[in-house]
Amino acid sequence: MLARLAENLFWAGRYLERAEDTARMVDVTYHTLLESPQAAEAEAWAELLDVLHLRAAYEAGHDEVTAEAVTRFLVLDEDNPGSIMAAVTLARENTRSVRELVSTELWEAVNSFYLELRRRDLGEDVATQPYELFAVVKRRCQTVTGVAVETMPRDDGWRFMTLGRMLERAEMTSRLLDVRFGQLVSFAAPLAFHHWVAVLKSASAFEAYRKAYRASMEPANVVEFLLLSPDFPRSVRYCLEHAEQQLARLGDPERVGPARRRIGRAYAELQYREVDELLDDLHPFLDRIQQNVWRVADAVADEFFRHAPDGGQHSLTTT
Amino acid sequence: MRFDIRYTTRFSYGDKVVESQNDLRACPAVDSRQQLLHYRVTTIPAARVFSYADYWGTRVDAFGIRGPHDALEVVAEATVETSRPAMLTVSPRWAELDDAGYRDEHVEYLRPSPHTDWGPTVTTEAERVRDLVGDDVVSAVLAINRFVGTGVEYVPGATYVGVSTDEVLERREGVCQDFAHLFIAMCRSLGIAARYVSGYFFAVDERRGATTDRDEVEVQTHAWVEVAVPGADWWALDPTNQREVGVQHIKIGHGRDYDDVAPLRGTYTGPAEHDLDVHIRIRRLAQVQQQQ
Amino acid sequence: MSDDLFRDYDHAGFYDEAFASDGQLRPHYRALADRMRTLTPTDLTEREALRDAIFREQGITFTVYDDEKALERTFPMDLIPRIIPADEWAELEAGLIQRVTALNRFLEDLYVGERAAIHDGIVPRWLLATAEGFVREAFGVPVPHEARCLVAGIDLIRDADGTPRVLEDNLRNPSGISYVLENRVAMTRVLPVAFNQHRVRPVDHYGSLLLDALRNVAPPAAGENPCVVVLTPGVFNSAYFEHAFLARQMGVELVEGRDLVVDEHVVYMRTTRGLARVDVIYRRIDDDFLDPVVFNPDSTLGVPGLVAAARAGNVTITNAMGNGVADDKAVYAFVPDLIRYYLGEEPIIANVDTYLLWDDDQRAMVLDRLGELVVKPVAGAGGYGMLMGPTASDEEIADFARQIEEDPRGFIAQEVVQLSRQPTLVGDELVGRHLDLRPFVITGETMEVIPGGLTRVALREGSLIVNSSQGGGSKDTWVLEDDGRDSGEEA
Repeated sequence: MLARLAENLFWAGRYLERAEDTARMVDVTYHTLLESPQAAEAEAWAELLDVLHLRAAYEAGHDEVTAEAVTRFLVLDEDNPGSIMAAVTLARENTRSVRELVSTELWEAVNSFYLELRRRDLGEDVATQPYELFAVVKRRCQTVTGVAVETMPRDDGWRFMTLGRMLERAEMTSRLLDVRFGQLVSFAAPLAFHHWVAVLKSASAFEAYRKAYRASMEPANVVEFLLLSPDFPRSVRYCLEHAEQQLARLGDPERVGPARRRIGRAYAELQYREVDELLDDLHPFLDRIQQNVWRVADAVADEFFRHAPDGGQHSLTTT
Repeated sequence: MRFDIRYTTRFSYGDKVVESQNDLRACPAVDSRQQLLHYRVTTIPAARVFSYADYWGTRVDAFGIRGPHDALEVVAEATVETSRPAMLTVSPRWAELDDAGYRDEHVEYLRPSPHTDWGPTVTTEAERVRDLVGDDVVSAVLAINRFVGTGVEYVPGATYVGVSTDEVLERREGVCQDFAHLFIAMCRSLGIAARYVSGYFFAVDERRGATTDRDEVEVQTHAWVEVAVPGADWWALDPTNQREVGVQHIKIGHGRDYDDVAPLRGTYTGPAEHDLDVHIRIRRLAQVQQQQ
Repeated sequence: MSDDLFRDYDHAGFYDEAFASDGQLRPHYRALADRMRTLTPTDLTEREALRDAIFREQGITFTVYDDEKALERTFPMDLIPRIIPADEWAELEAGLIQRVTALNRFLEDLYVGERAAIHDGIVPRWLLATAEGFVREAFGVPVPHEARCLVAGIDLIRDADGTPRVLEDNLRNPSGISYVLENRVAMTRVLPVAFNQHRVRPVDHYGSLLLDALRNVAPPAAGENPCVVVLTPGVFNSAYFEHAFLARQMGVELVEGRDLVVDEHVVYMRTTRGLARVDVIYRRIDDDFLDPVVFNPDSTLGVPGLVAAARAGNVTITNAMGNGVADDKAVYAFVPDLIRYYLGEEPIIANVDTYLLWDDDQRAMVLDRLGELVVKPVAGAGGYGMLMGPTASDEEIADFARQIEEDPRGFIAQEVVQLSRQPTLVGDELVGRHLDLRPFVITGETMEVIPGGLTRVALREGSLIVNSSQGGGSKDTWVLEDDGRDSGEEA
């Protein structure tokens, strides 16, 4: 397929994932704070900005951290490419440019998602009915995913889109763990429980976790589940494994390309790990995973998207 | 007169570039005054050259280099034999310029083009020249030639491609293409069809056309003009060195202005900055001198 | 039947597509009128809402640039279709094929032939050489089988007597076919019963016709299975929807300039698995942006080296470069003569009477009658820069008189043609609105006209400007399998 379109599909996948993850995390933060006994509000929102890697971008335009300002920044600020509105707009632009590659149903799902957000007064929604808004975003994202699963042939286009989703998700989950773990291990038990639930909910993992571990809420279990679970679709391991599978089909079957080699290594690091080995040095480990994911994304761009730099002109003058 | 021409262009980019695509116009024309005995284009890195005649009849050599390279050298080699032009034997009156056939055939050389567009300054000077010479187109063309050649000073590097004819007239300085563009604009403003010629000129100093005892000179590409005289063939003049075009002039091609015969046009992908080195060497061949 | 939609319709004053001058419905509109009369105003509103939802969800939009904002609009489709009976269509079809055949011959003669039409004095050389669409870089660039206008859009109107005439030729990148196809899809969902009561000729084979025609112009060396692509300026182009639509209909790649690269005068596209050779480019980019080596050097939309590759016969660019010379409105005036010259036939569809302003007598007459005539710039499109004499102010008329004196080659003048009208739904009322028709002609192994075409309708009262950028809408166009006199009774 065309290199440019592969790239657009890859980014469509990433932006859709980003919109969904952001919606879920803002939602959980918001509602955790509502139920929270001591509302260390500003701190919680600042942490969320850290998770999303948007703290610096936020501080460039804002003097203080308030629930309203951060929510607006993450939901409707179109200058912030990580905002839900921007991510959905970019997902739609990318999908629009590959319209002839995606199913009409998928395009319609993405487009009507975008149109609905455009029709809404997002500022008003954020102020008065955030729960409903986040529910809509999550439902729409899931609809898009579902439509994609049901209507897209499993061709290269599908693979690049899935690759984009998986890499974005691996990065999000590892950042979520990275930021939250450091803070939460020191908390007293009842408060920690409350926060671990929030972490799991941020990754849509609470119910699945409970099925796996019953009521016990051990940090080690949470880390194991979000990092190493082979079956949970938001665990870092799962994401890397599936990303690797896409790359295996996309590249030259005769030889392993640089992107696949990188992701293979990152996956191998997780595949046979025990959680106990990790807990003491979790931060550097997660940091390395994130670095690896970025390098994989760069290698994918080099290998498949073939960017050409800007050009110059030749001209000669006569005298 | 017989000449060997070797035209070398070298671009150095300072970094790797890719996907270079170029059109070269360097091949001597074949016409009543010129015979082309040999022509070859080679490039480093090597490229497949596709050659064709463009709308104006000029040979174009198109070539591209896709892979990474940090320099491009283009060498055009020609052997050409020139002769003197036929004498002009007509002296048409102004009314003959209004002939519908003349205006139809030469419409492109009668209207302004991007580099020959003119304003009131050019028109005023052209009309003054016309009023001086009376009802004789050839005299008017000679007067324009004299006016341009004496009124504008040849200053290498004085202008850039894209300077307007009015500006050349106001600044009174320029290089050969400014002389040609101004000449053409003045002719066209009076309804005389005139066109731009790109070529090589065998002389040590292109200004005043100082001829040489030497058999080999290093030159730059040159520009002159051709005028459509009703009832005659194209009449070639060189306003920069104030003479009719002769055996030392080796024509490449013609068009409305510089843009139609620019020696090399191209694009590439990579850093925009580059160094450019151009050498044109013309060698007079001995056997031809004996015939003179 | 309580409220007759057609009762208050005023058909008078103009040729009406649906009503004869005696106020009787024309036979081919009777079945439709009967069906429409059964719909209540609420029904109509609901169906309009359904229609809008279909278009919006499909993302069928074009872009209007308003100040700095780019707005996406849908091109409104009126619920009342235009109906053309079989006998009438047969004549139009013959006229269109005749015209495009002659235009293909002319462009071939001019760009790669002996320029016989010039030498034989049919059309003056100077006129062609001063047309904006006279593209010197296109000389000598071959297109197999004389198919230089692979897709032509010929704008037809009907004058006060109901006689069809050609208003202009669009031989460069005529757009609008996607609306024809999407209008039909929408119509079959919005008015299924009415549609089924007629035997309407289908239009949905356009994609396969176009693909066949494109393969037909592949360079001889391309082999059995030539690679065809659609070249678009990109997602920000106002017609991007159509480019994507056509690529999808044909099942070929939609590429941008940066997706293509030339190597040794062969064109390739960049894929995730390396370079893949391209044989035919259906380009929807203007000539001037195709190749920065020979055209606008600052264009980033094109492909460096593309024109040399086409000239070398390694790829076919279509529609061919330089077709715009025949779109020039002064050259248009010579098309009937070109038909006679190349085909030895009388034109089946006439031009609108056109005055050429470099001719002293015609110019004097036109300047005298500016208040009654239409003046158009020769290279204009989209209905911009025109003078509508009858509604113009004295200042506008004086301004055009000055412009014509300055540049008589730059304008043409025509008698005002009132364009026919047709019942059109505005609010819940049926009113007469002016319309034209752009049929699409494809030059393939044989020449094909898609039944009907894009009917554009001026939605503003009294307006004669049907362009989408200036408040125009569209109608689905039904070409009947029969003459329409009996349809309805059999349902």
